[in-house]
Amino acid sequence: METAHKRPNYILIWVYLAVLTAAELALAFELPISRNLKLLLLLFLAVWKAALVGLFFMHLKFERWNLRIMAIIPLPLALIFILAGMSEHVW
Amino acid sequence: MTHAAATVDQMLPPYPAERGLDVYNKKLGMWVFLASEVMFFAALIGTYVILRFGATGEWAKPGIVLNIKITAFNTFLLICSSVSMVKAYAAIQDGDPKKMRFWLLMTILGGAAFVGIQVYEYIHLVQHGFVPSGVREGSELAELVAKGTLPAATMGLYGSTFYTMTGFHGFHVTCGVISMAYLYFTKALPGKYTKQDYGGIETVGLYWHFVDLVWIILFTIVYLI
Amino acid sequence: MTTVAATAHTTPAHHDDRSFIRKYIFSTDHKIIGIQFLFVSLFFLLIGGLLAMQMRWQLAYPGQPMPGGGILPESMAPGGVILPEYYIQLVTMHGTFMVFFAIMPLLVGVYANFLIPLKIGTHDMAFPRINMWSFWAFFAAGLVMLSSLFVPDGAARAGWTMYAPLSARHDYSGASIGQELWSVSIILVGLSSILGSLNYITTIINNRAPGMTWFRMPLSVWSLFITAILGLLALPVLSGAAIMLLFDQIIGTHFFDPAAGGQALLWQHLFWFFGHPEVYILILPAMGMVSDIVANGSRKPIFGYHSMVFAIIAIAFLGWIVWGHHMFMSGMNPTLGSSFMVSTLVIAVPSAVKVFNWMGTMWRGNIQFHVPMLNAVAFVAMFAIGGLSGIYMAATPVDMFIHDTYFIVAHLHYVLFGGSLFALFGAIVYWYPKMFGRMMSERWGKVHFWLTFVLYNCVFFPMHILGMGGMMRRLYDPSQYTFLQPYQPMNVFISISAFLLFATQVIFFVNFWWSLKKGKPAPQNPWNDNGLEWSLPSPAPHGNWEKVPTVYRGPYEFSSPQAAEDFLPQYTKLPTDREPVRAPVAGH
Repeated sequence: METAHKRPNYILIWVYLAVLTAAELALAFELPISRNLKLLLLLFLAVWKAALVGLFFMHLKFERWNLRIMAIIPLPLALIFILAGMSEHVW
Repeated sequence: MTHAAATVDQMLPPYPAERGLDVYNKKLGMWVFLASEVMFFAALIGTYVILRFGATGEWAKPGIVLNIKITAFNTFLLICSSVSMVKAYAAIQDGDPKKMRFWLLMTILGGAAFVGIQVYEYIHLVQHGFVPSGVREGSELAELVAKGTLPAATMGLYGSTFYTMTGFHGFHVTCGVISMAYLYFTKALPGKYTKQDYGGIETVGLYWHFVDLVWIILFTIVYLI
Repeated sequence: MTTVAATAHTTPAHHDDRSFIRKYIFSTDHKIIGIQFLFVSLFFLLIGGLLAMQMRWQLAYPGQPMPGGGILPESMAPGGVILPEYYIQLVTMHGTFMVFFAIMPLLVGVYANFLIPLKIGTHDMAFPRINMWSFWAFFAAGLVMLSSLFVPDGAARAGWTMYAPLSARHDYSGASIGQELWSVSIILVGLSSILGSLNYITTIINNRAPGMTWFRMPLSVWSLFITAILGLLALPVLSGAAIMLLFDQIIGTHFFDPAAGGQALLWQHLFWFFGHPEVYILILPAMGMVSDIVANGSRKPIFGYHSMVFAIIAIAFLGWIVWGHHMFMSGMNPTLGSSFMVSTLVIAVPSAVKVFNWMGTMWRGNIQFHVPMLNAVAFVAMFAIGGLSGIYMAATPVDMFIHDTYFIVAHLHYVLFGGSLFALFGAIVYWYPKMFGRMMSERWGKVHFWLTFVLYNCVFFPMHILGMGGMMRRLYDPSQYTFLQPYQPMNVFISISAFLLFATQVIFFVNFWWSLKKGKPAPQNPWNDNGLEWSLPSPAPHGNWEKVPTVYRGPYEFSSPQAAEDFLPQYTKLPTDREPVRAPVAGH
């Protein structure tokens, strides 16, 4: 079962998500920064938003460590696959 | 069933049994299923990344083919429906089935609206000439390609990856809406969810948040980059 | 020394009164679902064998009319002479049926379903209805794949690995709807596998009987658990790839078509990223069941139980980072290729640990050569040979010469037939009494085993030599090459052995079907084994136990000083045993 915890403030998380989304839109279309930096920042923001949903809405922050591991295991596998596929184009 | 465990509280793992993960079966099953879904979207998203990274030509600039304004609103809508879902979960945790039903209904409507807007977007795109195989000849977008605003070499890949990723995401959202509607009418309305037994809400909620999470990634890498 | 009573102290469930349809057709009982998988998979094993027999005819007697070939359509085999277009369909569909519809469902669909609840001590799977859907998705997939043999322009024909863009474009392959049906069928197989996996994982984590701690689980269950995790994470990638292939085929997308910006290697990466964990799915359950049978047949605990578990986990873990060894000759990034060579060589280590542990189990054991033990020992030996040929292939410079030759065919058949199929023959005989309440004939089991063992080696060992000599895979007519003509007598030898091998399987099939009704009624524990399933009557009743048993020890307590007999079941309570304590958790 979940560890005893104070319920997160879901509305606050919603505000965070809205702000981050607005930041992404501004970054993508308004700010004059280099393409690669833009890419990096947008990915970072997207992952941050996804983490907020995963940790607070899906309550992963309050679950046992072994459930957290189970939820995360596919990610390194996906990364390995994508990096290997991309490496075909850098040699 | 002939065994004695039928009276056990639905929210606890089965007893008598070893402790396992201390998470009841439905919830554990949903997390396990979501792990497989991550791999499925990893295949589709990974394909997009690999194809785009390895493409010999330029990729279309964001915002030209796809409608950012409508999709940004849609993203916001889906995030709102995620909030309403978690509020439904919090409501039944507090033992308020009426509030739970309200928020669950909001979630269903939000999800259905998302799908509706996506379908509208698809129809719009096809009318302008953007199809899974790329750009249709003689269409509006074909003129942009001729002018050089859109790169001819990669439009085929753009169409293939766009429709596959967003299409399967939309399919998952639709399945979510149908599941929630089913639970709403068969379980939530007749008052079968209580403070002691709301596993179905938590389980479907996990699925719904996952679908939102995938969209958060997709919106960024498909529409904004 | 305490005397242990041989009778069980568990309480089997009572007879149920469901209708025939709910009991046997749309059943949610894991045992019935396992048996359904068994019957359907054995049928597809037969189909796969029939396809192979036609291939072997063509290889031994190229261009000659095949006996019985008259029933084939003129477009495929005019006058009974197999055409190249038909030959490549045979190759493709033999691989497809054997991998997806025979070996995988026999190992996982049958034994994960049948054994897991029985061996961990629970009434059924965590999600019985999802389990039922898993079977029917598999059944539908099989029908779709079977139908692809009969459609206009014939079945898929790009090899079971379905490389694109050959598989994606009709103008390249010559097939039409047959290709699409392959993709649809594979999507359904993926769905079936994923639904099954989520059941097995949840059940094993949450529904183990009191006292059934992780390190008291039999190795068959450990291997099925790890296999389920592999399947859970690998099959979705195949489903995704098959969907993209289907889209390339029917809606004009360009994922894998280089002419339109797609990448052919992308298909290979997607397929083998799934494909390598898949081959571990095809061997790990066999290894687990062999462990159970070898310990039983040796009347000794399994040697190195913990290292066996860690070896299974290591194989599964490493299995994710070796897939490129199927692609050494594809033109992939050579640096990437080198990293795959290293990881592939490393993965041999845990497999070797297991082989030595099986040998250690048998060493100085009181070996009973019952039919399952014969098959299990053959597994160990044949798997070792298959693994050794794998070392050659792991070394990229060697693989440059033997890739896509019969050396590879020899390797894969040594691990899949010599390995998995022998393990299956053993497992089917071993758990037959618990499934059907009857014993298979021991005498005909031994005849089948020895004939199969000798003939199987006659078929597949020479393929190593053919491969070293340069004979290519999927080759229609070896006699067209001067350098292969000296090997033609070997091809004939292999084919004749193959025909005899196929005929020998009739013995197994007849033994199987005849024993269903006429076999000796089975006692509760015919093999004097320790697992929880042997505490139930043969066959096991619906719901398994009225009250789940309590577990007091591990599963391999053979020849224990604490027991008068040479086995000590997991569920037997000795006066010195304590009841397991369920650790307290807040809220329980």
